[in-house]
Amino acid sequence: IETARIFDFEEFPKRDKVTYMYYTGRLEVFNENFPAADQKLSYALMHCNPRSEANIRMILKYLIPVKLSIGILPKDWLLDKYNLVEYSNVVLALKRGDLRLLRHALQEHEDRFLRSGVYLVLEKLELQVYQRLVKKIYIIQKQKDPSKAHQVKLEVIVKALQWLEMDMDIDEVECIMAILIYKNLVKGYFAHKSKVLVLSKQDPFPKLIGKPVNS
Amino acid sequence: EWLDKEEGKEVMQQWEDDWDDDDVNDDFSLQLRKELESNNEKN
Repeated sequence: IETARIFDFEEFPKRDKVTYMYYTGRLEVFNENFPAADQKLSYALMHCNPRSEANIRMILKYLIPVKLSIGILPKDWLLDKYNLVEYSNVVLALKRGDLRLLRHALQEHEDRFLRSGVYLVLEKLELQVYQRLVKKIYIIQKQKDPSKAHQVKLEVIVKALQWLEMDMDIDEVECIMAILIYKNLVKGYFAHKSKVLVLSKQDPFPKLIGKPVNS
Repeated sequence: EWLDKEEGKEVMQQWEDDWDDDDVNDDFSLQLRKELESNNEKN
């Protein structure tokens, strides 16, 4: 594949360029280099034969998990039209902050996701779903009492997770919040003794909008 | 060979990057709110 670089890429026939971008894009998915995967698979999608629904579907099977990883969601139209409904609940879980739904969606279509090799990519969306859940807790607190909203008690997150059938103690939740802060999905710090997550007053939940999660 | 037609472009427009809004009026959020408030009463 690498030897192709000594030729001028633009000189190849269109179908070969699309095929090349599709396969090298898939490689980038497995390397977890999502911006490169996005660029290559998007090229393949944009230039492939628009009448070949099967090819479009093949590209989307990889492009969708890539886009999700950088915080971009496919619209329902796309999932319906190309019969990629296995992604519907994954998308809904991200929108809601619903960790239970994400887990179920991955379980339900485990075979399919494992076969195409995107399972591990989808599993990592969990951090974004945690971010969304904490953000919702923060907004709900803010509506009730804006002055204290930026202090989120870890026990409140524990309760929310229990409701989502995830049994975790305060230490485990603290650990996950530490990961979210480290990955820049949450801006803030811990008041370790009082078991409180103190959110930054400015942009406490940075959006990805096309950037990968810090690794 | 084919020409780039509408559809390739159409597919590229089917994405949203600014979905992470502050809306907490969906069913999931309403239930979450109820859950958090019921916990407050207990404590």
